Amino acid sequence: MPFPFGKSQKSPAEIVRSLKENVAYLEKVDAGDKEVSKNLASLKEILSGTGDKEPHTEAVAQLAQELYNTDLLISLIANLQRIDFEGKKDVVHLFSNIVRRQIGTRTPTVEYICAHTQILFMLLKGYESAEMALNCGMMLRECLRHEPLARTVLFSEDFYCFFRFVELSTFDIASDAFASFKDLLTRHKIMCADFLENNYDKVFTEYEKLLHSDNYVTKRQSLKLLGELLLDRHNFSVMTKYISRAENLKLMMNMLRDNSRNIQFEAFHVFKVFVANPNKTQPVLDILLKNQTKLMEFLSHFQTDRSEDEQFCDEKNYLIKQIRDLKRPVAPEEA
Amino acid sequence: MSTGELHHLDYLKENELMEMDTFIHRIDSTEVIYQPRRKRAKLIGKYLMGDLLGEGSYGKVKEMLDSETLCRRAVKILKKKKLRRIPNGEANVKKEIQLLRRLQHKNVIQLVDYCVCGMQEMLDSVPEKRFPVFQAHGYFCQLLDGLEYLHSQGIVHKDIKPGNLLLTTDGALKISDLGVAEALHPFAEDDTCRTSQGSPAFQPPEIANGLDTFSGFKVDIWSAGVTLYNITTSLYPFEGDNIYKLFENIGKGDYTIPEECGPLLSDLLRGMLEYDPAKRFSIQNIRQHNWVRKKHPPSELPVPIPASAESRDPWRSMTVVPYLEDLHGYTEEDDDELYDGEDDIIYTQDFTVPGQVAEEDRDQGNADHSPALPKPVCVNGTDVGSLNTKAKAERRSSSSSNPSRKGVSTASKIRKLSTCKQQ
Repeated sequence: MPFPFGKSQKSPAEIVRSLKENVAYLEKVDAGDKEVSKNLASLKEILSGTGDKEPHTEAVAQLAQELYNTDLLISLIANLQRIDFEGKKDVVHLFSNIVRRQIGTRTPTVEYICAHTQILFMLLKGYESAEMALNCGMMLRECLRHEPLARTVLFSEDFYCFFRFVELSTFDIASDAFASFKDLLTRHKIMCADFLENNYDKVFTEYEKLLHSDNYVTKRQSLKLLGELLLDRHNFSVMTKYISRAENLKLMMNMLRDNSRNIQFEAFHVFKVFVANPNKTQPVLDILLKNQTKLMEFLSHFQTDRSEDEQFCDEKNYLIKQIRDLKRPVAPEEA
Repeated sequence: MSTGELHHLDYLKENELMEMDTFIHRIDSTEVIYQPRRKRAKLIGKYLMGDLLGEGSYGKVKEMLDSETLCRRAVKILKKKKLRRIPNGEANVKKEIQLLRRLQHKNVIQLVDYCVCGMQEMLDSVPEKRFPVFQAHGYFCQLLDGLEYLHSQGIVHKDIKPGNLLLTTDGALKISDLGVAEALHPFAEDDTCRTSQGSPAFQPPEIANGLDTFSGFKVDIWSAGVTLYNITTSLYPFEGDNIYKLFENIGKGDYTIPEECGPLLSDLLRGMLEYDPAKRFSIQNIRQHNWVRKKHPPSELPVPIPASAESRDPWRSMTVVPYLEDLHGYTEEDDDELYDGEDDIIYTQDFTVPGQVAEEDRDQGNADHSPALPKPVCVNGTDVGSLNTKAKAERRSSSSSNPSRKGVSTASKIRKLSTCKQQ
């Protein structure tokens, strides 16, 4: 579409329409297009103003309305790969800005995405393509700040893709995926607790694989997050369930002897919950009793160079004492 | 401008406090008698001391500069003598330090953190004694985030009030003073508490009525409600001539909300100041409330962070600079030279003239001491400063080109910075 006037004289609706056409064109030719980048830049200008010029409320409202009417956000994300580097950044900017938009208590873009949840899953699948993974990650996290959108992702089957994404071989993509994963599991506390409780078996079966990962970063990050999840009071019942199972204790005891000191340290913070539990289940108690002397010996030599970390030392001594005082209940089982 | 610069909270040990005592004494007399504007540099470990920021019942808070990272920090200096006079003083401080160690959240103060102003101080600085709605809303949302984090860590704060909310120059709120907070047992089924030592006007009916046990989290909700009431209206929902009257009024639970609050805010306040703790809003309820979700347009000018009471500096800029100047022998006349000066080498050299601190020490506060001795070599290795910490600073900097100069690491970093700036 030719521009007889300077770009500033085009209305938001015109730019949106032009962009929509140009994006559609991208799809056909499968190559970058200058017009798309130009349109994106103009939209960005309307949204955030330029230099000292404040954005015009009227124009922003018109732009938003036009975005919803044309489903432009969907085509932009679908064709993100074909848009050039700066253009991709502008899409992220446009998207984030419009998601944050508020009218009184309403967030119209959140309502729009709620009605078009495919947007969320397109963003999520974006992690599979290296050229747009980070852009999609940023847009996805912007969505996850809003509980209804986070709920849609968390309670979907696609959520389990994250267990694959966080292990991707490209470090920055895996890290970004982990950040989204963590946001999903921690940001909206009540919802997260509800999710973990109701999907305990499925989630923790998958989660355990992360703890066994050959990828050091995955292993360490997921172990750390596990500790945070279990020690958050909102997840009290999940924690109780987790520390009632002997196989989890075994896993942590093995990780206490991991080659990496950092893994050992993170494992300690999960291990301590098993020991401190005043209502240990029989299988857990059995394991602790069976290894009573070995554990006391091990803990008294565990990371002794952290002596300046008072809290760690206190906790270690507390655990040693707890383990020393462990007694077999009245009805003893195997020796 | 000080925006974005950090100024941290730290704790010193007793022996360092003793040094502090002698130090303050000595400086005061030199300042009064010899030269009012001169500030004597004092290093404790890697920290260069700045001005007094405030005083409390426990002791004082001073600004300081981390000479290794150049981070702005604040040190809370606790005097054992004063602490002993406060019931549970020492125990509370120990508990607070222990709690702070394990906490990490953007809206909760950290053992090493920064803040410039208390919310109470800000409220007191304007005649209306309240914030415009949008500003109150911004702070309240951060208070919610911080409180939710504390509760997630099993900590009941028990003393939420404007006086315990600190603000940074970039508008972030930090919940502080965990002196009377309670950490629930990690395996406690619920948040039942038995004691509360918080400020009376912010206490809920169940405490005013002396119940034996009560929900800890709901106490914080109530106090946050009183806080919101106060920062939006400048009033308190409950008052009383003395604590008995006050508790009697709270215990009855009758209060009014000024009409100017509007229906939305009034509804939120009523939910938070609900007499029955079981019916009182949870953090989740508050988050979903429309007053919280609503975007409040900035209709009035926000209340700014007031100029610091001590220096009347509206920008709350670093107070360690004069001490730095003292440390490196920089005097007033250097300024002229600086502005006349041609290149940054002269500037940096002047800025770090060595040996002068020692001279100054001998010749107390000699103002017209010639700064011009250009690019002097270190002529004077004597360190008159009685502090062993200075010796430490020297040792640390011994790898640098001029080992006998105090705080060389700071100096060299400043040199780097200033050269960058000038280029």
